[in-house]
Amino acid sequence: MTPPIIQAIMTVGTSLPRIDALSKVTGEAHYPGDLVMPGMAHAKVLFARRPHARVISIDASAARAMPGVLAVFTGADLPVNEYGLVLFDAPVMVAPAASAATETSFDGVVRHEGEKIALIVAETEKIAARARDLITVIYEDMPVIASIHDAVKPDAMQIHPHYAGNLMHEYRIRRGDIDAGFAGADVIIEDTYFTGAQEHAYLQPEAGLAYVDEAGRITVQVAGQWVHEDQEQIAHALGLPKDQVRVIYPSIGGAFGGREDMSVQIVLALAAWKLNRPVKIIWTREESIIGHHKRHPMWAHARLGARRDGTLVAAEVTLIADAGPYAYTTTKVLGNATVMCVGPYVVPNVAINSRAVVTNNIPSGAFRGFGAPQALFVAETQMNKLAAALGVDAVALRLKNLLRDGSITVNNTPIPPGCTITDVVQKCVAAAAVAVSAPAISGQAGSRFVTGRGFACGHKNIGFSFGAPENCAATVELHGKTTVERAVVYHAGADCGQGAHTVFLQVAAETLGLPIEKITLVASDTATSGSSGSASASRLTFMASHSIVGAARAALDKWREGERPAVAHFVYRPRATTPMDPITGEADPNITYGYVAQSADIVIDRETGQFHVRRLVCADDVGRAVNPQQVVGQIEGGVVQALGWTGLENFAQRNGKVLSQHFSTYLIPSVFDVPDVVDSVLVENPDPHGAMGIRGMAEMPFLVVAPAVVAAIHDATGVWINELPITPERLRAALQK
Amino acid sequence: MQAFEYIPATTVKEAIAILAREGEQARVLSGGTDLIVQLREGRRKVRAVIDIKQIPEVNELSYDPATGLQIGAAVPCYRIYGSPAIAAAYPGLIDAVSLIGGVQIQGRATLGGNLCNSSPAADSIPALIAHQASALVMGENGERRIPIEEFCIAPGRTQLQRGEILLSIHIPPVSPYSGGAYLRFIPRNEMDIAVVGVGAWVALDQSGTTITAARIALGAVAPTPLYVPESGAGLIGKLVSSETVAEAATIAQAAARPITDMRGSAQQRSHLVGVLTRRALHIALKRAGYKSA
Ligand SMILES: Cc1cc2nc3c(=O)[nH]c(=O)nc-3n(C[C@H](O)[C@H](O)[C@H](O)COP(=O)(O)OP(=O)(O)OC[C@H]3O[C@@H](n4cnc5c(N)ncnc54)[C@H](O)[C@@H]3O)c2cc1C
Repeated sequence: MTPPIIQAIMTVGTSLPRIDALSKVTGEAHYPGDLVMPGMAHAKVLFARRPHARVISIDASAARAMPGVLAVFTGADLPVNEYGLVLFDAPVMVAPAASAATETSFDGVVRHEGEKIALIVAETEKIAARARDLITVIYEDMPVIASIHDAVKPDAMQIHPHYAGNLMHEYRIRRGDIDAGFAGADVIIEDTYFTGAQEHAYLQPEAGLAYVDEAGRITVQVAGQWVHEDQEQIAHALGLPKDQVRVIYPSIGGAFGGREDMSVQIVLALAAWKLNRPVKIIWTREESIIGHHKRHPMWAHARLGARRDGTLVAAEVTLIADAGPYAYTTTKVLGNATVMCVGPYVVPNVAINSRAVVTNNIPSGAFRGFGAPQALFVAETQMNKLAAALGVDAVALRLKNLLRDGSITVNNTPIPPGCTITDVVQKCVAAAAVAVSAPAISGQAGSRFVTGRGFACGHKNIGFSFGAPENCAATVELHGKTTVERAVVYHAGADCGQGAHTVFLQVAAETLGLPIEKITLVASDTATSGSSGSASASRLTFMASHSIVGAARAALDKWREGERPAVAHFVYRPRATTPMDPITGEADPNITYGYVAQSADIVIDRETGQFHVRRLVCADDVGRAVNPQQVVGQIEGGVVQALGWTGLENFAQRNGKVLSQHFSTYLIPSVFDVPDVVDSVLVENPDPHGAMGIRGMAEMPFLVVAPAVVAAIHDATGVWINELPITPERLRAALQK
Repeated sequence: MQAFEYIPATTVKEAIAILAREGEQARVLSGGTDLIVQLREGRRKVRAVIDIKQIPEVNELSYDPATGLQIGAAVPCYRIYGSPAIAAAYPGLIDAVSLIGGVQIQGRATLGGNLCNSSPAADSIPALIAHQASALVMGENGERRIPIEEFCIAPGRTQLQRGEILLSIHIPPVSPYSGGAYLRFIPRNEMDIAVVGVGAWVALDQSGTTITAARIALGAVAPTPLYVPESGAGLIGKLVSSETVAEAATIAQAAARPITDMRGSAQQRSHLVGVLTRRALHIALKRAGYKSA
């Protein structure tokens, strides 16, 4: 008998401390803004800071003549002046159309305030900033379209040549017979909803360092969510083969979807390439706020019909998303919102029309939840109103209608196996029923305070949807003579601060039977790993664990065959999904889903309109909690971020200009604004699609905080709120009606 | 950040001489939590910055029950609430100094700076007005004393003349049966500029039931912090009741001249003046010894 090469090592399921915790608290960890190289030059971006204008000319002669200035780059310097995650429909830098050697149809026009005009590179940041202010740009202002309603008017000016009628994309779902469905309804709930934009507000504004590496590759060290996608977009704009571009992520100071699209990557690469010198940039907070996309504002009109016994019979939703001028990830976000906007329920008759509309607002794009929070705000508020109208318990109403294994979804196909939302709802309700000691209501108690409880639940896809190619690569190397002494895992997956790299090592340790200290992770570098796909869509733990298990097992096989070191590469490909049919919306859109249920206890100061969440219970089916402490971190962080969107964060734009350009006017929750108690309920029903049963979870805690709070406000006051954010002023106005 | 000359002054005289010479081109630096931010953002341009933190007189903080409280212009907030005697005597002032910024800001920020920066939303100013505080100012021609309610004349502009510096703020001794309070409203629970702030101070007769003096001041509802004498005057001689308090709040509301901006509409501000005036008066009354039935 040969001795087993695998020992039982139990690391999956334990709250191992983060592998980067010490370096982060001691300041040793390097974020992009901390990177330095000898001979490094500094860059500044000239932003358009006007929402809609034709660029007539750019005169940078005075800037170029300034001592210490190395170069001023404009769109004319880019071989292919375009970028975009799903479509190449945005200019990297807007250049006058006539002068661009590689004219594309969308060049020459500034379409939002954060558009880039030039990159100034100088010996110091200060010189670059001064030179930036010497550039003269002549603009011809154009009419600004700042609302979705104005954008779709028949006589509205077309903002982008690709998008006639200012319509970027639309979806349609038709299931059953909608008219017959409503005809059979005893109760119909109908209302109009609106949710606002949201800024990601990550701690670390965009920054990066680009240089030519020892192999002659243009290398960009930056914070992002998918090194290979960044590499592809940089290579595309520079007109270079991909292998001449390298992207590396050092420590990342938060992402939340806000780093999925290009910010500093392409312009930095351009500068390092042309100057053959390291070039660094750090955006200020104000630059960051106009320089990257926001959560889509969405408008919706919804009708929901049910029989007296609570059985849902029909749902109709019209959704309009404000995309801003460029696609970014809008088509995908809108698709998600479309699939999720009637909630996690069986509804036999469904009609959904959704549209993404082009405006001159800051582009919209990925943000934790990716369209689902907006959609579920509508769906769940409709459900809570229905429960109130029927006079039944909101949870009981849901239990009657929830999707379960075998149920047919709005897309007319079965929900993927492992639909556990009934269990999640029950566990949430059970936890909420257990009293906890929350701090007493502060201040003088009395009639000014009213309290209430609200409930909501939801689902969201894990992994890419609608037939998008979905895969994740890992390489595992085993070293040693007779026994495996150490291992190296190569993986491109981004650790945005969520702890992905710790999870990678835990999964590797468990599969290889090696203590974690004997495993080295080489991560987030296009030069050392195959593509992992992005750290988004709650997919990275789900996808990466499959890839690491696959590579580790293959490496062990090679080890057994005597290979030293044993090296194996593995690409995980989940089951394929399909796009929605343009007429009926029929599709098998998603690999699998995550499920969440939330209960909110709030107190409202009726006189000021301010509300505070005293307790938030969040039950989330994570399949298997690889690192329970990190799961709790995701739940607490997601809940607080969602509360910001629900009540505080008012991303104000007027006529295409961002008014809330500072954290002094864009208020994110502070430590005193978090709920007094957050109960994280980790539900662990193994996902049949997951390695070790693992299911994605990172977006779920965000999903239904808003509708749970809205239901709690109704419970406390009898008033329904249809618009986010629920600022004190808005709530007070509603209470007065 | 723009370049400027940094001058650490060691005497009041030296600081005044530079201010007289440079005029608008020089600014006093106390905690710097307003000034440095403004310089960095280019909202203010100066040639010289005169740091007063090394001048002994402006660092003095003294409390004597007989003469009152004297706060040197460079005394940071944390020293004020860190003194148990001061905290016990002037809880209404402590309300304000303990909510300016956060702990780090309070380690630097001064009442002198809060006053001289002359923001309409400055948190300490309504509290100081309510407490009948005055400012001691010195220039080349000597000292003068200015009631706080007269100190600010426009956003960012004060009574200070060329060559004048604020030396200290004085609050009268605590009279028996008196109490003050400061409340502000912001949409979140810390670190924000007041949507509305209200300072209130009351004195009761010996029976603790009749109001003998009252002062109300408002923040963020006019170009400068606003003293509303008629609101306090209306309370004098009245028995404490919810109705009398509500009347004072209505008078305060009428005096407010709020505008609409990103932080709130004029309508919401006006409403909040009423709510906070009532609440602040109730707290002040309690601190003055009024026992509600
Ligand atoms: C993060 C943050 C949060 C904040 N939160 C609040 C808040 O909640 N409430 C609030 O009211 N403010 C707040 N502020 C503003 C600021 O902290 C306060 O106004 C503070 O009291 C200013 O004091 P300072 O000593 O720092 O003033 P400085 O910045 O040193 O000075 C302010 C102004 O006064 C002038 N000045 C200072 N001392 C004198 C003097 N002796 N004679 C003549 N002129 C003088 C200066 O030249 C300058 O123009 C905040 C600021 C920051 C950065």
